[in-house]
Amino acid sequence: MIRRLLPCSLAGRTALFLTLALMLVQAAGLTIHALDRLDLQRIMLSREVSTRAFIFWRTAVLASPDRRPTMLQEVDLMRGLRADLSELPAVRPGMPPPPLGLAELFQVKQWRTLPPHLRPRTLLVAGGPTMRDLVVASQLPDGNWVNLWLSVPVLRPWHSSAFLVAFLLMTGAALALILWATRRLTRPVSALARAAERLGRDVNAPPLPENGPREVATAARAFNTMAERIRRFVGDRTQMLAAIGHDLRTPITRLRLRAEFLDDDEQRRKMLADLDEMEAMVNATLAFARDDAATEPSVPLDLAALCRTVLDEAADARPELTNEAASYEGPERLRIRARPMALKRALANLVGNALNYGGTVRILLDGHGSGAESSLVRMRVEDDGPGIPEDCLEVVFQPFRRLETSRNRETGGTGLGLPIARNILRAHGGDVVLRNRQQGGLCALVTLPA
Amino acid sequence: MVDNMEPPPHILVVDDDREIRDLLSKFLERQSCRVTAARDAREARRLWPLGRYHLVVLDLMLPGESGLEFARWLRSQSDVPIVMLTAMSEETDRIVGLELGADDYVAKPFNPRELLARIRAVLRRASGEGNSTQEPPAKAIRFAGWTLEPARRRLLNQDGVEVPLTGGEYELLMVLVERPNRVLTRDMLMDLLRGRQAGPFDRAIDVAVSRLRRKLEDDGRNPSLIKTVRGGGYVLAATVEKAAELPQGLALAGGTAP
Ligand SMILES: Nc1ncnc2c1ncn2[C@@H]1O[C@H](COP(=O)(O)OP(=O)(O)OP(=O)(O)O)[C@@H](O)[C@H]1O
Ligand SMILES: [Mg+2]
Repeated sequence: MIRRLLPCSLAGRTALFLTLALMLVQAAGLTIHALDRLDLQRIMLSREVSTRAFIFWRTAVLASPDRRPTMLQEVDLMRGLRADLSELPAVRPGMPPPPLGLAELFQVKQWRTLPPHLRPRTLLVAGGPTMRDLVVASQLPDGNWVNLWLSVPVLRPWHSSAFLVAFLLMTGAALALILWATRRLTRPVSALARAAERLGRDVNAPPLPENGPREVATAARAFNTMAERIRRFVGDRTQMLAAIGHDLRTPITRLRLRAEFLDDDEQRRKMLADLDEMEAMVNATLAFARDDAATEPSVPLDLAALCRTVLDEAADARPELTNEAASYEGPERLRIRARPMALKRALANLVGNALNYGGTVRILLDGHGSGAESSLVRMRVEDDGPGIPEDCLEVVFQPFRRLETSRNRETGGTGLGLPIARNILRAHGGDVVLRNRQQGGLCALVTLPA
Repeated sequence: MVDNMEPPPHILVVDDDREIRDLLSKFLERQSCRVTAARDAREARRLWPLGRYHLVVLDLMLPGESGLEFARWLRSQSDVPIVMLTAMSEETDRIVGLELGADDYVAKPFNPRELLARIRAVLRRASGEGNSTQEPPAKAIRFAGWTLEPARRRLLNQDGVEVPLTGGEYELLMVLVERPNRVLTRDMLMDLLRGRQAGPFDRAIDVAVSRLRRKLEDDGRNPSLIKTVRGGGYVLAATVEKAAELPQGLALAGGTAP
């Protein structure tokens, strides 16, 4: 539950924790401040209560007994103060003693030290029903009693709207600041993640900038060193493959010529077939090693026409196929930017596989999608063959990797078709993955930027 | 085999590999050609004035002066047909070579029979079309809003978008644009196509035409560009314009990497 509520980015989590902690600290701080202020307020209000009580008393003492009730009627009372005039004191024996501090708060003691003409004949003080109440009975010179019920006003700190506004404002400001700061601080981490991702697709991706805080710069430098080492490794291997492929061309040419002088027709035919196979391998190796896609310029291209061309050429090269073996479904025209020869090679490899291992091929092309997907063109190259075991769907993208089943079938491939196709598509900013179809057969899912 | 040409064609082979040179000479001699072989561009220049060659087979990868430079020099001397030997990887060289006026190419490691077929086709064109080979090769051929670039073997629509063609479609289109507004029967087309292309033109002409119409956005039921002629035949109904230079925008869009 908590896991699901947790934001998944590092910046998000940091921001969340910082904000929560800050809210806690703020709430505590604001409460302390409020309580402090409340105390002051209570004292002031209590003083006011006692002043009014005293005014009531003085009015009662100084007024002539017959005018007393009307005069007292005019005295302003307030919340927390009740008063009356009675023949009996409101303080009776058995009432609780005055709560500690309340007598001081209401300054009752000072009544005993009033000038003689104001001083009560008797002053009785007792506690009320709660700890905040005080009952004071003071006897007038004529024996009547002025009864006063004083109580400390109740204040609710959280009822002040200023408290809420302050809390929200401060939290909001802090949140904004924290979000900004954590984003900034974690940016190098996401840059590193992106660079690693890019390196996986393209070893020649540009290096990371080695600046920023010390830890970040160190990580970037380490990453760049690693990338450089991978690059060198791949480069060496590529160069070696290219050299071998290149040097094999001369002997193959010589052998082809020599074969023409063989008198045994059968032997000559076989030898030429072997040489064709060797040449195909050399060409595939060279194509894989050289990575043509990187040097060919990108031009506007009609992808629909390219699909048809690849299908028609594949069908033409296999006269034994029926007309329906290679079909296309999709828009009549679809304009993209691509490297024509490289892309054609990639598609031809996928179509060739479908025909070699599945016997049929279907290209399904999706027009430019809508919304967020509009920047991608999707294509499926399907067949009705046996498909590939689930755990080999990625494995076959490794160079020279062929599955046992196809070795036995004498389809005579090199195992470079899929890796070349993927290299080319990735160099275009797209990709290809394989899926087994539910109805049987294999489906190569191709994406390309529009 | 080249029996209908009275004197056997004399071919100059320029290749730096001794074995290939010797074997190729022997192979071509067996096909009743006269062959002179040169090791590099220097030797070829020395041999050039000594004979009357009908065709030059030129390897583009030569030590010293490159094959392309030699081809340029050769073009300044004569219109002798040139068939280039290139490696698959030398795409740019091949395009430059074709733009310089080489007539055809085969990729190394080549199939000797294919080379022979190309040599024959080029010789036939050179003798059959007489003076027509004298004009410089067109860099762009324009018709009905479309542009064909022979050196790159590609077709561009009016917006400069490349519309890929199969080999067969391209050959057919070339035959048609070279003979605009002329009725070509299926037999004539078959003949012309075989002359250009090694190997049989294996799908029926009609299939190729319908595919091509589709790519040219020509309505198959009511075609206006490649029209069907009653009695069997096709005609390209368009004015064709040849340009010696590429239009600026297209040259940029398709420019090869330096
Ligand atoms: N459509 C398919 N159906 C079944 N298996 C396939 C399919 N496509 C590829 N495979 C398997 O994946 C392997 C690798 O394919 P890849 O195209 O890389 O090499 P290849 O076809 O063997 O050789 P080539 O280099 O000539 O293409 C194949 O050998 C085959 O076993
Ligand atoms: Mg394959």
